[in-house]
Amino acid sequence: MPHGVAALANHTLANTPLATDIVVEGLEKRFGDGPPVLRGIDLSVRRGETVALIGANGAGKSTLMRCLLHLVKPDAGEVVLFGVRLNGVRQREVRRVRNRVGFVFQRHNLVPRLSALANVLHGALGRSPFGALHRSLSPAALRDEAMACLDRVGLAHLARQRADTLSGGQSQRVAIARALMQRPEMLLADEPVASLDPAAGEEVMDLFTSLARQEGLTLVFTTHNMSHALTYAQRIVGLRDGRIALDRPTTDGLASELAQIFA
Amino acid sequence: MHRPAARLDRPPRFDRPNPVAFLATVLALGFLVVSLQGVGFSASTFVAGLPQMGRFAAGLFPPSTDRLEPVLWALLETFQMAVAGTALGILLSLPFGVLAARRLSPHPSVEIAARGLISLFRTVPDLIWALFFVVTVGLGPFAGTLALIVDTIGFCGRFFAEAMEEADRGPQEALTALGARPAAVIACAVFPAALPSMIATGLFSLEKATRSSVVLGLVGAGGIGMELEVALTFFNYQEAATIILCIFVLVLVVEQASSLLRRRIIT
Repeated sequence: MPHGVAALANHTLANTPLATDIVVEGLEKRFGDGPPVLRGIDLSVRRGETVALIGANGAGKSTLMRCLLHLVKPDAGEVVLFGVRLNGVRQREVRRVRNRVGFVFQRHNLVPRLSALANVLHGALGRSPFGALHRSLSPAALRDEAMACLDRVGLAHLARQRADTLSGGQSQRVAIARALMQRPEMLLADEPVASLDPAAGEEVMDLFTSLARQEGLTLVFTTHNMSHALTYAQRIVGLRDGRIALDRPTTDGLASELAQIFA
Repeated sequence: MHRPAARLDRPPRFDRPNPVAFLATVLALGFLVVSLQGVGFSASTFVAGLPQMGRFAAGLFPPSTDRLEPVLWALLETFQMAVAGTALGILLSLPFGVLAARRLSPHPSVEIAARGLISLFRTVPDLIWALFFVVTVGLGPFAGTLALIVDTIGFCGRFFAEAMEEADRGPQEALTALGARPAAVIACAVFPAALPSMIATGLFSLEKATRSSVVLGLVGAGGIGMELEVALTFFNYQEAATIILCIFVLVLVVEQASSLLRRRIIT
């Protein structure tokens, strides 16, 4: 009988329905000599599902999100995205998989000195054969598409404004437009509204979930906000000390269980 | 009832010096004194020589305008050398900077090699590079321009690498996450972040090259330095004064323009 990582991947792929975008098995991560951040995470997310990943600070949410795209390399375990096992594949293949996933960060991570439009155009970098020359060579069709993405997040009128002059909420919307520019099949958002005021946070979460619904995208977001998790997610996964402590569909009686995750 | 606050230990106004730091300071001051003696520093010798300095300075006046036109052409050539050398040097410094930047270099051995080469370019004086290129391509401004390119890479390569290393990692991570190639991440996230610092360094480099291009002429590498050398060799101090004044105006204009550009661009 096969064993080890290859066997695990075969097992995972063999037992996973095709409509599953994310499969994680036995994921472990530790930074340096510190305690393990992730301890044997098993998780699968179906296509089109909206999942909230909750947990206290240091529970491992951000590390798990980064491990999903191999932005942080796991120490052990498997990540399979869209049926592609990321361990051991060539960097080019990893980049192809990453291009299918829009990742929105807490600090939006826009390039500050560039315009909103230029930042949105970056979303096409993963599919541009010109790579670094892409921005200067971006043809009219690409700019039209970027403008359409900005329009979808309600910021077409700020296309030429520098990113470092935008408000927090506007910046996060540009980051979402950049993700849309990827023509993604999945959105990952790492505490996308943590740095926003409550009103801007609600707006951004509304935007996120409505876009995901319209496009039929898989959406996984991390949050500390139980209300956001209960309102916007179909399923809630709770992390505690690097382990999954809760994995339930969103129901009315879940609030007290969620509170336990932060206890 | 109000109770008086308990008396707290009052820290000393100055910390006691660390013995090692104190010893190092004493040694450094001692070395300064020895150095002054080593170079024969003497205020009395300087004061005694002041009349000779006065006579030499008097010989410079009035500056001669007999050969003003060829001097101005040579000045233009000097500035052209500085601009061409700096521009090409900056362009070549970009790949050198990337290869020498810790987080961007494709391999540690490449980083060490790039840093070593940049250090070599910086350590060897521009006059030596000029001699090297005069031997290679002959007398004239081309040799001087090549020397300035190498000198600019030595200066800009190091600072470009540091600016790129300090670039915010957030946008780089974002572009990596969306599947961009490393070269695209550098072009679209690292360069824009490092741009203000690189512009400042480039402008300082132009100032430095303008001053250097004057000296390069002394070894036959073109520019106004050659005119100055001829004037001094033939004790034509009044013409030398004209040349020095022209150089002063050029350097002043370049420095002022560079400061203005820095203020306007780096915002």
